[in-house]
Amino acid sequence: MRIETAAYASRWQGVAPSAKALFALGGMGAAWVATRPGTLAALAAVMALTALAGARVPPRTYMAVALPPLGFLLLSCLTMLVTPGVDGAWHWAGAMMPTVTRTALRSLAMLAALLGFVLSTPLPDLLALLRRLRTPELLLDLMALCYRMLFVLRQAWIDGVTAQSARLGYRGWRNAWRSTGLLAGQMAVQVWQRAGALQMAADARGYQGTLRFLPAEFPQARRQNAWAALAAALLLLAAAGDRL
Amino acid sequence: MNTLLEMRAVSHTFADGSAGLHDCSLVLGSGRRHALLGANGAGKTTLLQHLNGLLRPNAGRLLLEGRPYDYGRSGLAQLRRRVGLVFQNPERQLFSAQVEEDVSFGPLNLGLDAATVRARVKAALEAVGLADQARRAVHHLSFGQKKRVCIAGVLAMEPDVLLLDEPMAGLDAPMQEALAALLDRLAARGVTILLSTHDIDFAYGWADDIHLMAGGRVSASGPAQRIGADVDALEAAGQRPPLALALHAHLVTRGVLPAGSGSGTPPRSVDAVLDALRVLPFKPLMKTPT
Repeated sequence: MRIETAAYASRWQGVAPSAKALFALGGMGAAWVATRPGTLAALAAVMALTALAGARVPPRTYMAVALPPLGFLLLSCLTMLVTPGVDGAWHWAGAMMPTVTRTALRSLAMLAALLGFVLSTPLPDLLALLRRLRTPELLLDLMALCYRMLFVLRQAWIDGVTAQSARLGYRGWRNAWRSTGLLAGQMAVQVWQRAGALQMAADARGYQGTLRFLPAEFPQARRQNAWAALAAALLLLAAAGDRL
Repeated sequence: MNTLLEMRAVSHTFADGSAGLHDCSLVLGSGRRHALLGANGAGKTTLLQHLNGLLRPNAGRLLLEGRPYDYGRSGLAQLRRRVGLVFQNPERQLFSAQVEEDVSFGPLNLGLDAATVRARVKAALEAVGLADQARRAVHHLSFGQKKRVCIAGVLAMEPDVLLLDEPMAGLDAPMQEALAALLDRLAARGVTILLSTHDIDFAYGWADDIHLMAGGRVSASGPAQRIGADVDALEAAGQRPPLALALHAHLVTRGVLPAGSGSGTPPRSVDAVLDALRVLPFKPLMKTPT
């Protein structure tokens, strides 16, 4: 929900998703090519700053979204640095430090590039981009429906919890478990009913077997793609310097 | 009156054995505003779904411009292009994440090219007053806005007949007025409108024709003035007389208003009765002796 809200509030919501994807891909490619820790750290900083200052993603949202993957990264690094010895005890593997540093910084730069893209691109724009890239229609239809149903069912769940709370459904843990179970069962029925209603609504508007939607127009797309390609090329060039 | 849609002695029984329609007949005149009035469970939604071809009758038949409905694939596509249906609950109708995407769904299904679809989406969103919300996420809209997106989704298919299932349900008074104004604009463009409602005052004030429903069949049909004044027919359908007529009758009985006030026709709304009162010379109320 945070990602969704940030994407719609982003200053770059109106920027062509292809341009944002190009820039993010450039950042990822550069992170792949770069080898020096300094370059990788600079790349991560540039990508993060672009999202925060350029796309105006609120820092609190950025940190909240980044925390779970950062925690995963920290755990992975620790498992590389602490290894079991032949004596069966755990040992600090200091020799692994350069590899761990490089891997961690590369992951950070990749993560920053990806976050910059998803935190400034609403999912419908992403779906439209995937459609242009010839992703299978069935997969996109499923994504579109799941995305919409996520919000519909979330609202149904909130309404259900509110209605149960108003009748003391969550007074005490026993009641709370019972209410949650009842609501979960009811949601299954609702999903079935809503699926039927959506099918009927689609039929009423001439559904022919494929969910077809008009993609949004981005009149500045050509110019924005050119700028994004230039920025991505600069990032790749800076990263390639490490290999020379 | 040119007959556009007709339902002849249609019966429909659901899979669980419950009766939806029973020997139901209805005639819709072209370019007119029709209100379908009935209590809960009277069969209003079932009737609308028959008109759009979503349900097929077990007995009887439906006709569009005198020709029986064609329930084949292309026949249904053609029917739904001409007869659009807006459902009662927008959450069950909207399945795209973005406003303009959802509105484009119907016209794209008609096989129109992208430029035409884009033009139709723009016009439909302008018609419902949501042109500036085209790129918004559907789940960020209010209930009333979602309802208008649903209407735009059907308008973009440019139907000849617009069916609306209880469009006023869940809307506050200003939104109801805005929706009524929108329907008036559509009717002025020649679109035939049939809406279902529980609200006899709205139906009496807005519609050209009222169709009363009870027990799965249309029990009475006719011009709004005639049906509104037919107390027996209204009672049989579980409806009370329109407030405007009741108020007007009381004021006439008490000699406050002349019997044939204004244009000679009974007032269609409480506002019209108030207007008739306002033009009377002001006389302070005298205390009646007990």
